Amino acid sequence: MPVLTVDDIEVGYANNTIIDGLSVTIPEKKITTILGPNGCGKSTLLKSVARVLKIERGAVLLDGQSMKKLPTKEIAKKMAILPQSAEAPSGLTIFDLVSYGRFPHQRGFGSLKKEDLQAIHWAIDVTGLSELKERPIEALSGGQRQRVWIAMALAQDTEILILDEPTTYLDMAHQLDILLLLKKLNEEEGKTIVMVLHDLNHASRFSHYMIAMKDGAIVTEGAPETVMTCGNLQQVFNIQATLAACPFSQNPICLSYQLTKETECLQQTAAHS
Amino acid sequence: MTGHTYVSNDHRKRHRKNVIIMLAIFLLIVVLFFISMNTGFTRLTPLALIQTLFGMGTAKQELILFEFRLPRIIISILVGMALAVSGGILQGVSRNALADPGILGINAGAGLAVILFISFFSSAPTTQIFFLPVLAFIGAGLTAIIIYLLSYKRGEGISPIRLLLTGVAVAAGISAVMIVLTLRLSPENYQFVAVWLAGSIWGSNWKFVLALLPWIVILLPIAFWKARVLNTLNLGEISATGLGLEIERERLVLLAIAVGLAGASVSISGGIGFVGLIAPHLARQLVGSKYQYVIPTAALLGSLLLMTADTIGRWIIEPSEIPAGIVVAVIGAPYFLYLLAKSKA
Repeated sequence: MPVLTVDDIEVGYANNTIIDGLSVTIPEKKITTILGPNGCGKSTLLKSVARVLKIERGAVLLDGQSMKKLPTKEIAKKMAILPQSAEAPSGLTIFDLVSYGRFPHQRGFGSLKKEDLQAIHWAIDVTGLSELKERPIEALSGGQRQRVWIAMALAQDTEILILDEPTTYLDMAHQLDILLLLKKLNEEEGKTIVMVLHDLNHASRFSHYMIAMKDGAIVTEGAPETVMTCGNLQQVFNIQATLAACPFSQNPICLSYQLTKETECLQQTAAHS
Repeated sequence: MTGHTYVSNDHRKRHRKNVIIMLAIFLLIVVLFFISMNTGFTRLTPLALIQTLFGMGTAKQELILFEFRLPRIIISILVGMALAVSGGILQGVSRNALADPGILGINAGAGLAVILFISFFSSAPTTQIFFLPVLAFIGAGLTAIIIYLLSYKRGEGISPIRLLLTGVAVAAGISAVMIVLTLRLSPENYQFVAVWLAGSIWGSNWKFVLALLPWIVILLPIAFWKARVLNTLNLGEISATGLGLEIERERLVLLAIAVGLAGASVSISGGIGFVGLIAPHLARQLVGSKYQYVIPTAALLGSLLLMTADTIGRWIIEPSEIPAGIVVAVIGAPYFLYLLAKSKA
């Protein structure tokens, strides 16, 4: 059974409809990436799924139930969200912030129980932050901070993780580091991961399922080899891409590209495939 | 999922440090309490003070202590506490360190109610002394509700920044109306209003203590109970939603607590500013930004600050006095400039 289903939704800001009549199913225990040009509505879709934006029409179903009808705290036990530019209040340690992830499981004053501490320490360990857990967040690098936010989402102990551009503002090594962490969480913990990424090659290398959007609608969706084709990239991004196979994942990646003219699309196969 | 269940030593140490800070502030309050009881036209020696407290003083000593000084000191403690917690909540809800009860129009609304009443219905405000707080509270509450409704947008709810800007605009408008009204007052009434607006613990009376107490006793524990909600709100809207917080409902509840606390205070002490701004600020500097610590620390600091201000105000130009609100501003403004100079932006 699909964990998350988007059923014919309409969403927008004020009087500006961004998505009208979109339906999609997010596969369980897989990594799904939404991509598309700026302003295509990918963040809007992600925020609608995350119940941050109010849906005008249609429904997002979690385990077959409309999220509108579920108490928000119950949803929070199944689905964690990492916003694009998360900013922690000053004067918190890593441990403090990660402990905030226990919010939906706590009642009242919020003293940490045994299972809370267990979840917090596990989240800190699995994100490789054990050595730093008493440091203030301000003292961390961008990559470490992103790990702390992921740790907070993990402490929430949910089946689903939703991330809005988790690698933006990070350098190449730290981008890969975060994606490898997400891959590990998917493989070892069976987390369903849904995210927006800007880097096509990262998306193709790490996703099981890709959703390409343009103008508030889905252009194509499926496994990376179905989505990452010259024709699709041309249609979605107006680029003329030269594709190859990723030496690590064997999925198609974009070697280089040009803005679209009338010329033919070149499909190349990398030497090692 | 495996993981250990202990809390690290550093974490415990920080907790202990914060508890010690709170105890230290509490001790300062106790010390100041005794100093304050001895401050005023008639000096009471520490011995006479203790004797009187235990019912062994002269009738005159008892009158001064129990009827004049004690209620006034207790009011300054309660009001300081309420304003500080109200400010702490508002700073948390708006995620803006510059928010204080004034932004919800509480001071302006209470002031307007008092001036309107004095302008149109009363020639001798002192005879209405028990009616004024009720009126001021209604004025404060109504203004807060108007500001809330004006900044509410269907489908989006309350955005903190819209709340702040609406609050500033409404307060400015009310201030303008107040100036017009004060121009028409008789000199005697004008003086009363001016002192009221400056924020003076004038209601040194046990009845006022009793009027204030229920608000504090009920709302302060709720505020403390909501510490976890404030922590989560402080992470921003998306994260708070993701963690399962009902943002709109919690914001409304927190705003109501803040309005209740500040409204009750202002109705009895007049427009005391700065306590709600500075006490939570200082608290965060001392104990970090977890609201489980910020709320009680701010409450203690608010009491200390206002009691100090009121004591200084009573002592500095004896036998006359300066309203506590002015003393707080004189202490608070330089501290605030220091904070601004120190901040990175």
